[in-house]
Amino acid sequence: MDNSATAGMHLPWAGKKVRQELVEDELISLWHLAADNMRISQNMNVRTSVLNFVICAQDEKSAQEASVLLRDLSSTHIARVTLLILDPRSDIPSEVSTWITLRSFPIISDVMRHHFEQIAVTVNGAATHYADNIVEALLKPDLPVYLWWLNDLPEQLDVFQRLLRISSRVIIDSSRFSQPEKQMRAISTLLQESSHCALSDLTWGRVTALRELIAQFFDIADYRLYLMGLHTITIEYAVPSTQATTGAHAHLRKPGGALLLAAWLKTRLGWLLLEDEQDKYRDRESGVFSWHMSSRDMTKVVTQPASATEEGAQISTPPGGIDIEIRPRVLSDSEPGTICLVQLIGTDHGKQATFTIERGDDDDHVITSVDVPASTRPPRTVNIAATHKESKLLHNEMEITGRDHLYEKSLHEVFALLA
Amino acid sequence: MPQRNVVEASNPFREGLRIKESLEPCVMVIFGATGDLTHRKLLPALYNLALEHPLPAGFSVVAFARRPYDDEIFRKQALDSINQYSRQKPINPQVWESFVSGLHYLQSSFNEAEGYNKLNTLLNKLDQERGTSGNRIFYLSTPPSQYPEIIQNLGAAGLNKNRKGWTRIIIEKPFGHDLATAHELNRQVGKVFKEDQIYRIDHYLGKETVQNINVFRLANGIFEPVWNRRYVDHVQITVAENLGLEGRAGYYEESGAIRDMIQNHMLQLLTLVAMEPPIALDANSVRDEKVKVLHALQPLVGHDVLKNTIRAQYGPGWVGGHQVPGYLQEEGVSPTSTTETYIALKTFIDNWRWAGVPFYLRTGKHLPKRVSEVAIQFKQPPLMLFKDSDTQGQVEPNVLTLRIQPDEGISLKFGAKVPGTDMQIRSVNMDFFYGSSFVREQPEAYERLLLDAMHGDSTLFTRRDEVEAAWAFIQGILDEWKTAPRDTVHSYESGSWGPQAADEFIWRDGRRWRRP
Repeated sequence: MDNSATAGMHLPWAGKKVRQELVEDELISLWHLAADNMRISQNMNVRTSVLNFVICAQDEKSAQEASVLLRDLSSTHIARVTLLILDPRSDIPSEVSTWITLRSFPIISDVMRHHFEQIAVTVNGAATHYADNIVEALLKPDLPVYLWWLNDLPEQLDVFQRLLRISSRVIIDSSRFSQPEKQMRAISTLLQESSHCALSDLTWGRVTALRELIAQFFDIADYRLYLMGLHTITIEYAVPSTQATTGAHAHLRKPGGALLLAAWLKTRLGWLLLEDEQDKYRDRESGVFSWHMSSRDMTKVVTQPASATEEGAQISTPPGGIDIEIRPRVLSDSEPGTICLVQLIGTDHGKQATFTIERGDDDDHVITSVDVPASTRPPRTVNIAATHKESKLLHNEMEITGRDHLYEKSLHEVFALLA
Repeated sequence: MPQRNVVEASNPFREGLRIKESLEPCVMVIFGATGDLTHRKLLPALYNLALEHPLPAGFSVVAFARRPYDDEIFRKQALDSINQYSRQKPINPQVWESFVSGLHYLQSSFNEAEGYNKLNTLLNKLDQERGTSGNRIFYLSTPPSQYPEIIQNLGAAGLNKNRKGWTRIIIEKPFGHDLATAHELNRQVGKVFKEDQIYRIDHYLGKETVQNINVFRLANGIFEPVWNRRYVDHVQITVAENLGLEGRAGYYEESGAIRDMIQNHMLQLLTLVAMEPPIALDANSVRDEKVKVLHALQPLVGHDVLKNTIRAQYGPGWVGGHQVPGYLQEEGVSPTSTTETYIALKTFIDNWRWAGVPFYLRTGKHLPKRVSEVAIQFKQPPLMLFKDSDTQGQVEPNVLTLRIQPDEGISLKFGAKVPGTDMQIRSVNMDFFYGSSFVREQPEAYERLLLDAMHGDSTLFTRRDEVEAAWAFIQGILDEWKTAPRDTVHSYESGSWGPQAADEFIWRDGRRWRRP
């Protein structure tokens, strides 16, 4: 592929540099070439036509890394990828440059290869303000647009907002935000104005495996008796060193996943955080968060079966309320922010049960265990490696259609917890 | 806090999760666990379920079999089997450690009452140690001749009932040898277990592509209006195997293609294609519609059997680049055997939707390739506008093909103009491949079925009346074949698509077999 046809920026990995108005014609030529190759190589050429995938990066390195990751995403039936590299600096000329290529990956075996189109576009200077229009001209018709915003959000959100306008779903990773709390609030506000666009957060995806394991505890009828009596929730998240437990190194802490999990648990259990400051504790130095809640909205909670020993309808709920604590744990060999402990303690008519999910030998495994009076269940090792693989997380998010209301609700709960 | 009436609660944490339904831990007791099915299919399926963690903590397996093994030997064999047959490799050692701690072995004969008492003791112990809460699945993976004594002994030991938890029984095909034995087996199992405890397995129903038949028909508005006698010319259902007996002469001689394939898998495919949309997607609503199709099949009795069926045995030939013997030369086959390795039949469904539309079914061993498909051929347009001699004859009918295996997917054949100045029409295929559109690895059929059984969802299992209705249809054919002359058993070359008689059989109707 000739990447030196025109002067200016070079992206050797991005394919052939073309004029933007000729993108479609040039792609047709590439498809003809690919068809010839297929006849020679006997591979079956497959094109899927399910979605447009727009990846927005702020530098070439991130874009190239995302381009490599596409290998693992061919199963998401991408029709066309647009890699958008934005450089909004005001001291550089406004310029748009375009490269095209076809990507081809084997599907399970090499007999069948999945092809899709990749267009890389660098947008510099003032032109970045019109990035949405530039992208819109390159979209395949009649297919939804999934926008993956890499890394941090920009200070000026207008470009992001305009891209939301043309997107069906935006995917972010809040664990990479430099100011996660502030930036997530901003996104949340923008989305309320763009009701057609759904939000996916890879941090929520990481937490979903733990949500499934927590749900499994209470799938068992005997254990569900303790559900409404849960009075203590402890969540620990990994930090790389003891330095991270000091205020000066707060940036090393990534409690986003733990906060989402806590918010989800709180919501599912119907607990309400009142305005009383005594009920909230946040140590900005050490990264510890804790809340005490004593009010509960039972209308938001599904009922549980009554205790077998009770007559009539009784619901067990802890009279002292619930304590939720999030705290860091130093684990040098763990990815920062990884949730390494979830423990739920509950009582039912004086009997106490403890439900634990704890990190195993590595980040890819957790051990679930239950300590319930007069009941034994062996601990179990579960593989959650998929939660650490970005492509897998993306794949899961790209399979979702429509808004994830549970995530959005949990997100708003996080704001309330941090308020 | 407001008091509320207690109802059976759902799990509040389940909302928004992909897996919507609870799964309680249980013990799966596999009778005949040293056999092929357990090692090739069941254990790998259970391990994959453990790996993808819908399998609950505490899930346990008890292998109940005659061989003098113990826990350690069985666990070692399980490891070997999973290493060989699991769709996900290599084994994850940490998950394996959790999984293998739930595998146990109990040596006993199936007719030994004491063995069932020991089983009862072991199950109670597992309830205590592993929290299986009295939930049991009994899986009969033995030769069918042993089903009655196992079922009877389970009943005698009280294992069919629990003071707490649930009990289910999964029974492998073949379910009976004919209508009478199927009815008798139903009666025997019905004496011990209630119908909602009984899961008659047909693994075809667990295949993604078979489940997709209903989705395809009922989730897309464009197909249902043409899914009837006004637009469909005929339907061909093909299940072809390129393998031969593979050492199973003892079973196959008693079974033949009609019992091995037609009575179960192929009639299941037929019912799914032909049924009316159910009023709901619960197990009984779906199965009600399937049973209606079976009851509407035109019976084949007497002379109609020979007119509408062709049976044959494979002769010597070449398959997959290897020379193979004929059926009668296979070890364990009687030289005077009339067991069919190939059958083609034509049937009609007497209802408003399908009256007059022939359904052709064919299946056989040592055919050129392994393929299962349902092909719906539509009628030609009422007026052939492209009458020019260059184009006529090139305009083939539209065919919608549901490929079950391999190359799972759906294709639609239609005519398109060849670019150029003259009017040339060629047939083209519009393909949807599971393998490329959804590259996620498909779960094995047994994974889905075992999970459904644990969930208590019997939609993908056959019901008592369904089994008996299928047998009722087959019985007429079996009865006629018993007295039919030997020369009604044709021969075909291994590696060919069947006997000449089968070709003539469909040519008579002005149609031809597809080449899948």
